Amino acid sequence: MSTRRTFVKWLVALGVLHGMVVCAGFLAPYNPVEQDRKSPYLPPTRLHLADANGHIHVRPFAYSVRLRVRSFDQYEEDTTEPHPVKFFLNGARYRLLGFLPCRMHFFGAEGTRIYLLGTDAYGRDQFSRFLFGGQVSLLAGLLGAGLTLLLGLCVGAVAGYYGGWRDSVLMRFAELFLALPWLYLLLALRAFLPLAVGPLEAFFLIIAVIGGVGWARPARLVRGVVLSARERDFVRAARGFGASNGYLLRRHILPETSSVLLTQAAILIPQYVLAEMTLSFLGLGVPEPAPSWGNLLSSLQQYSVLVSYWWMYLPALIMVPFFLGYLGLASSLQERAEAYKIETSSLGSLT
Amino acid sequence: MRYLLRRLGHAFSLLVGVSILAFLFTALAPGNYFDEMRLNPQIAPATVAAMRAQYGFDRPLLVRYASWLNSVIHGEMGFSFGYNSPVAPLLLMRARNTLLLTITATLLAWAIALPLGVWSAERLGRLPDRLLSWGTAALLVIPDLALALGLLVLAVRSAWFPTGGMASVDFETLTPLNKLRDLALHMILPVTALLLSVLPLLVRHVRAAVADVRNAPFLLAAVGHGIPRRTLLYRYALPAAANPLISLFGFSIGALLSGSLLIEVVMSWPGLGPLLLEAILARDLYLVIGGVLFSTVFLAGGNLLADLLLYWADPRIRTESSAR
Amino acid sequence: MKIEASGSGQNMQPLLKVENLLKRYAKGSLTGAREELLALDGVSFTIFPGTTLAVVGESGSGKSTLASCLACLESPTTGNIWFEGKDIVKLGERARRQVRPQIQLIFQDPASSLNPRWSVLEILVEPLILQRKFKHEEMKQRANFLLVRVGLSPDIVEQLPTELSGGQRQRLAIARALSLEPKLLILDEALSALDCSVQAQIANLLMELQSSLGMTYLFITHDLAMAAYLADEIAVMNRGRIVEQGPAEKILKQPQHETTLRLLAAVPRITRAALPAVEQ
Repeated sequence: MSTRRTFVKWLVALGVLHGMVVCAGFLAPYNPVEQDRKSPYLPPTRLHLADANGHIHVRPFAYSVRLRVRSFDQYEEDTTEPHPVKFFLNGARYRLLGFLPCRMHFFGAEGTRIYLLGTDAYGRDQFSRFLFGGQVSLLAGLLGAGLTLLLGLCVGAVAGYYGGWRDSVLMRFAELFLALPWLYLLLALRAFLPLAVGPLEAFFLIIAVIGGVGWARPARLVRGVVLSARERDFVRAARGFGASNGYLLRRHILPETSSVLLTQAAILIPQYVLAEMTLSFLGLGVPEPAPSWGNLLSSLQQYSVLVSYWWMYLPALIMVPFFLGYLGLASSLQERAEAYKIETSSLGSLT
Repeated sequence: MRYLLRRLGHAFSLLVGVSILAFLFTALAPGNYFDEMRLNPQIAPATVAAMRAQYGFDRPLLVRYASWLNSVIHGEMGFSFGYNSPVAPLLLMRARNTLLLTITATLLAWAIALPLGVWSAERLGRLPDRLLSWGTAALLVIPDLALALGLLVLAVRSAWFPTGGMASVDFETLTPLNKLRDLALHMILPVTALLLSVLPLLVRHVRAAVADVRNAPFLLAAVGHGIPRRTLLYRYALPAAANPLISLFGFSIGALLSGSLLIEVVMSWPGLGPLLLEAILARDLYLVIGGVLFSTVFLAGGNLLADLLLYWADPRIRTESSAR
Repeated sequence: MKIEASGSGQNMQPLLKVENLLKRYAKGSLTGAREELLALDGVSFTIFPGTTLAVVGESGSGKSTLASCLACLESPTTGNIWFEGKDIVKLGERARRQVRPQIQLIFQDPASSLNPRWSVLEILVEPLILQRKFKHEEMKQRANFLLVRVGLSPDIVEQLPTELSGGQRQRLAIARALSLEPKLLILDEALSALDCSVQAQIANLLMELQSSLGMTYLFITHDLAMAAYLADEIAVMNRGRIVEQGPAEKILKQPQHETTLRLLAAVPRITRAALPAVEQ
């Protein structure tokens, strides 16, 4: 089964990417909110192998940088002393996986700082902010999608299984949520909630808003699956054995929705990561100084940043593999669903 | 005809539903414009209370909704606290700009996606098709936001066309023809960004839909009759694939409206998006509700158009509605 | 021998007595005009314990609706169903759940009546778990016993239904239905999806089970030949009504109604020639 293998391939790729974000503390050399007012908008640190005297070093190294004379944002390298890149060295304190106190970082240098993606207006390391921001954005996407799917599953199951007035009321309600372009709906929901809140509250608020926006579509899909599963012979047979509604839903009907839910999850998670980014970008999301992918890009709203500091755009490129992973996962799931459909229908005609 | 009337009634009931929902949410929402005002030490509490009473915020929700409906009938749609003016005129101007953007982008997107998708479906699995698939996948995985910002960076660095706004500073002094040219120049960037955000999805769907019907027995029979390929694809395959494509049309309008909101903010196009954002930040509730309703009207309009197309393209719906 | 069995049944209380069953489906939307479909239009019959009644009819004659109503999966619009002297139409959902295990239904397509995600063992013990009839360790034994009873090897317990043949699946479905020791087994076109030789095997299995367990069958089919082979009595249905009813032999030899004639004409010639031999 090649579709299964591509599915696993994408899943592993996504696992690795997410693992990097989960271990942000270890991979990121610095604290994402630590400011260095002396070096705002520092371009990405250059790593060299050959020094000013033409000697080749085995270990890559960096030079420390200083402001060019009579300039306020042009930096130059101080080539007197190379600072080799060190691995597994001690640095800023962090908690690995959120609880293990730790000081070891994957890489760094002594005597200078290595900014792989440059720094922002406050001299914060963009690379560290990208990794830690990924924790916020990806988690918001995951939890938001989870919330949406849970809502969609409940609504769809009730509407499809019980039918009647419950079905019509719930589906009419779903139509209202589909009547708005999703970004307008997202902003509208956000508009009715408090603006100035702490980072943690804002985080959960955003998950609630994002998760509350998209439930209508999965609810419709689940309803369709439940509607057809309810009339399947093995469900009627189980009812004939004296099964209760709860049992039928739990054991026979809801498992039928699993492939739809899985595909929807692969589609929704990246969408919701984007939604969080959009909200944070517009200043309606996780407030500064907490990093998030939207916050990282929001400085690009300033014309001067856009014109002068090109590296502020780099985070947008580095997040592409994440979206690629989810796209691959979703299409392999869709292919598998199609293959399954063909397989079962051919079986049905054989008997 | 009855079919269309029914769809129209449906769209209208959706609008009413959305407005009721919006009002319910405002009632549940913690904090409003006056709460923000109360935090301002320069405004006396009595003034705030007086304003609250003046705008009817001390009355029950149902009364507020009724008076809002009344103002809708009078073409006001409530009152913006921030702009100190009725909402509708504020929105109309901005809505026109948003429509200008989305309609242009919709037309262009479909004008490109249809031939491209058919072209690709015709070469299913061959190199050009595979290249196109890779291209659309690449565009699909770049976030809209990144795409818009990237275009902006590109435009700023190249200085080929204006970046931001809708008109040059000297717009008023230009001749009508140059005015049009100026507008078109300003539209290039946002329209391109919008196009690139929806085009990959459209092309993929058109390709899939055409590929789906390409192997249908009636088409194979038509091949047997010696009908030329071009005629076959555009006169036979495309109409047969029309159904999913027309529902995609409604979807594309929704996607374009959403995309437009973001792109308007990024490229400072004076559409509904920036206004809505501003209204949210200022807690200007009626303006928010108005903006949201306008977007609903657009989407409902798009869906009505899709229904109209479906009515025209699918004989089954025509017979169904005439039978009733 | 079978006729004797049904003859002695006459003195007993009927297992199932159906009176004037009527089922109406309303099809209609909020705006459109209502359309009504009368699936059952005053159906009455009785079945005595240990006998087989065949309900024969063309597709769309209301046979499957009848099966669903009798198995308590749907409620008739009006009419009564007396099961062991108790009217099961008027029961509430909870009480119906008690009755359902006693009336089991075998479906036409065994592939769809078995959950494709479950193993044979899981499928087989599901009714036992639902009825809490056995302890956990006994269940596997019971499952093996049932498999052997219907002529399947106990080795297949770990397999998925998709890995079984059509005949094996239908045997599995019968074993599952038997696990609850039902009093009435409704076979809704249970043989129609199988090919000829398998049909005969399953039919023989059913007859063997009837003679050893004293089962009562309601056999629903469009195949008059198979009905005559299995049943003591035949009821012919057309458009929701029973148009002709009587002992199997009589229906075959002296068909009265045009529906019966039509069904008879549909029986393949070779089988029809073989029929009297089978009956004697």
